[in-house]
Formats: sequence, structure tokens, C-alpha cells
Amino acid sequence: MSQPPDDTEDLALQALQRQLDDAFETTRPRPGFEDELWLRVQQSRPPQRRVVDALAAFFQGITEVPAVPLAAVAAVLVVLIGVGIFAYSGIGRGGGAGGGAYLSAGQSAPRNGELAPGTFGRVPTPVFGSGTKATAPQADTVAGAYLGPAQYTWAGALDVTVTSAPVFRYFEPSANSADQFASALGAVLRGRPAGFLGAYDASGYTLKVRGTVQTPPSSPAFFIFSSLTMPPIEAAGAGPQDVADIFLAQHSLVPQWAYTIAVDAGADPVKVRYQRQFEAPGYGTAFLVDFNGERYGLEVDLSGGNRPVLASGLLPLSLDVANYRIIAPSDAIQSAIASGASSSSATPAPAVKLTKAELVYVLVPAGDHSFYEPAYLFSGTLQMNGTTLTKRVLVPAVDPSQRKP
Amino acid sequence: MEADRPPFEDLYGEYLGRIYAYVRAQVGAAADAEDITAQVFMNAYQAYARFEARNTTPSAWLYRIARNATLDHFRAHGRRERLRRTVEHQRVIEEDPAEQAEERIQYRSLLAQVAKLPERQRDVITLRHSGLSFDEVGKLMRCSEDAAKMLYHRALKALRESVAKEGV
Repeated sequence: MSQPPDDTEDLALQALQRQLDDAFETTRPRPGFEDELWLRVQQSRPPQRRVVDALAAFFQGITEVPAVPLAAVAAVLVVLIGVGIFAYSGIGRGGGAGGGAYLSAGQSAPRNGELAPGTFGRVPTPVFGSGTKATAPQADTVAGAYLGPAQYTWAGALDVTVTSAPVFRYFEPSANSADQFASALGAVLRGRPAGFLGAYDASGYTLKVRGTVQTPPSSPAFFIFSSLTMPPIEAAGAGPQDVADIFLAQHSLVPQWAYTIAVDAGADPVKVRYQRQFEAPGYGTAFLVDFNGERYGLEVDLSGGNRPVLASGLLPLSLDVANYRIIAPSDAIQSAIASGASSSSATPAPAVKLTKAELVYVLVPAGDHSFYEPAYLFSGTLQMNGTTLTKRVLVPAVDPSQRKP
Repeated sequence: MEADRPPFEDLYGEYLGRIYAYVRAQVGAAADAEDITAQVFMNAYQAYARFEARNTTPSAWLYRIARNATLDHFRAHGRRERLRRTVEHQRVIEEDPAEQAEERIQYRSLLAQVAKLPERQRDVITLRHSGLSFDEVGKLMRCSEDAAKMLYHRALKALRESVAKEGV
């Protein structure tokens, strides 16, 4: 907040370095390029070299025949895979919404008894991207949302009567847990590109698993990129949601958490979004939103309406839970209005009348463990260049006395 | 002797993606990056028999080939064309929706800004973030390790200003 200029600059450069690391680590050629090029490389060998290599490979194969009987190796593999699947029992077993399998593990058996309700200690304060800091309001629109600064008034009803809400905590997934997730899907480890816990190959698709991203905050996630050989899902009369359900069921990826489905069929690919919800006793279900207030959870992209090209979603994790006092709705409203841009600014920010509000959950990364914390999400609309845009404002809900500054 | 160096297949598996990212950050366009990456590994494969591990690391050797291939590309196509394609974010291969989807989670805009930096700044950023030490970067760029560090710091600041200006 009040960093000296040098520190601020150093932090900005460090953040840029991290982004560059991520950019270089995640920029990779299209699927299939690696195999195509390897074939070209192999074909560039002189014919006599190919014969020599083939003979070498043949004799190497003979010398590498395992001394252990194959049946014994197979038995060990079966046991290992079984242990992996058992340990990762949260992975989809089909079924529908609700359930909360990952959650229940954490709730019923806190890790070594250290997580009695309310005792995560002071939890970190979330950082949001609502553009409340005064910057020029240029190009601050993304997909119908206005992200720039604005001045707020409130003209709605915020119906939250509970005085506390759960905070959820997870420990950062390891490469081992990513491998277990992948092996339960039948995917084989290909490598560990930097920025990812693992990259895996499976029949018809490649899989990447990523841990928590600190900035901007992003949950541990998996990404399934289908290859061109993956056939479309043929199901007579099936709509996008049905197709996505079938795809997820086929790959045992049906969410085990509560969700609602939103289908964006306005473009190709059609996006089927499973928006995650958390149960807040006394309030109901609260959506998980990103730092801009957008709901997320799991998404299946369908090209041509029935060919899955991408499935990306929350990596199944075990969550611990503890109850925390939350601020009153009136305080949240005041905070939301106060977060608006100053009216005395040289470039007046647009005025937005906030008319809706709800309790939501946001990710708060904190190193080797991270939190899903409650927050108040306010929203309203404004007109800009003849377009109606939505403005969202997030306010931390956990009482300041229970948060780190 | 062949025993001195890992099988080329291992090198290929470990470095293909990283070299592609390096080239992509240099040239901006995915199609060009694929062409150059292909050329890098074809050249590397042909020259691998002459690679001597005691003189350099495999990564420094590969990045030298990649850097030369990228410079050849710029000489052949001209900087103006490169800038035009970078600015327009032109993409030639667009046929696979899965590829497009993957692109979305990549940092294309940031790498496009890197591609707009002056040559030496672009070089030092891309080499450093490809995993090379400052010592290796300096050797490739024919300067000392300390000079590479200073150049990198200046390049990082220039990139930050460029990113802020473009709103990436």
C-alpha cells in the first residue's frame, strides 16, 4: 500500500519477472507439432545411419529384457495405480451436482486436529482487480464488464443475516498429487514443464496440471486439450450441456462440488461452465468468483457443438474449514462505496449505481496453503459508448480483526 | 565420443518447448516460430555429432543455434515485416480450436511486447527467461556476465513501461 517508491518499483519488476517466467514456461507449440517435427528430424538421417540406429535399438531391447517376471511387474503396477486412485478418492466417480466430496474430507477430519473451527489464525486479506485505484479508465472493458475506476452509489437490498461464514483452506498440491489425478484419468506423465505440476498424455488428449497462481490469483487447475483425433460426441438430441456432461462422465471429471451451469452459445466454441458454489450455513450457496468477480469452476469448450476441445477446471483438493466472523451488510455497503474513485480526480470516473449484492467466495493465495474466503460482491451497470457494461465491486467479508492487514 | 553427450532424443524432449517459447517471443507469430524451431532442431540434429559437452552445455549450444536461426529469419524477412506482424498479432495457423484455446491461457500479449523491444533488450529477456544463467547469456551476447545483468535490468524496466503503456 504505502511502499516507498523504490520498493514499489522492485515489486513491480518482480511481478513482471514472474509473469515472464510463466509466459515462457507455458508457451508451447500446438499439439502434434512435437511428433511432426520429430518425424522430420528422423527422416533427415542418412539411410545408412537409420539402419545402424535400428540395429542398435534392437540389440538394446534384447539387453534390457527385465529379469523380473512380467507378471510380477504387472502386479506391482496394479497395486500402485490402485493406491493412487484410492488416495485420490475425490476424483469424479460420475454422479451429479452437490456431494462436496472434497470438502467432506476436510470437514470431518481436520489435519492432525490442528484445524478446530475458527483457528486458521488471522487469514490473509484478498486483493481484488476491481480497478478502484485511480488510473485512467482506458480499455478497461472485458467481455461486457467494466474494470476501470468508478464512483458508486447503492440502491439495492443486501439480504445477509448471518454473522459468520466458513473459510476454506487447502494445502498446495504437489507434483505427486497431480500425478495421482492424471493416473486416475489414465494419463501418462510426459514431463514437468515449468509453471505446471505436470504434463501428461492420454488417448485423444493432453493434460496439464497447474498449482495455485499467486498473481492474478488463480486456483489449482487442470487443462485438457483434445487432439484432432478425438471424435465428437454423438448423442441424438443432446444439447451442449448434455454433451459436456457426457464428456465429463466419460473422463470421471464430473464435479463433486455444488454448481450451477451456464452455457455461452454465442460463438464457436460453445462454452459450458460449471460455476462452483460453496455452502454458507444460514445464507445458502455462494458462488466462487475470480478477482474480477467472474464466476468460475469448470469449463468445457465444444467446437461445432459436440467436439470437446478444451476442458479446464478446478483441481480436486481436500478442503479444511473454519468459521469466521463477517462484517455486517451495512459495513460492506459503506466499504464498497468508499472504494470508488475520488470525485475530485482530474478525469472524472463514471458513476455507477450498485443495485445487486451477494455473498461469494474468492481465492486468497498464501504460499504453501491458500484460502477460499467469503466476500461481498456488488454489481451495477453503466453505459459507455452506447454499450451497457457491468461493474463489479468486491469487498472482503471476513471481519478485519480476523484478517492480516 | 557419443558417451559424452545425452541422446539427441532427450535433448529434443527437454528443449523443444523451451526453444519454441524463446523463438516465439522473438518473432511474435506462431507460424514463424514453428518454422524457425523446426529449422533449429534439424540443424542441431545434423550438427550433434560435432557437439562437445566439455566446451558448452547442451542448452547454451541449442540456444546459440536458435539465436542464429532467429537472426537469419530477421535478415531474410526484414524488421519492418516482423514489427507489422507483431503489432497486428497476425496468426497464420488458426485451424485448430484446441490450439486457440491453449493460446488463451498463454501470455501471448506479454510476449508480443517482448517482441517489440529493441534487439539486444529482446535478446537478453528471452535468453534469461528461457532458463540460461547470466554467464551463458553474456557468452551468447558477447558481453560479460555483469554487462548481461545490467542489460537485463534495463530491458526489464523498458518492458514494464511498454506493458504499462499498452495496457497488457
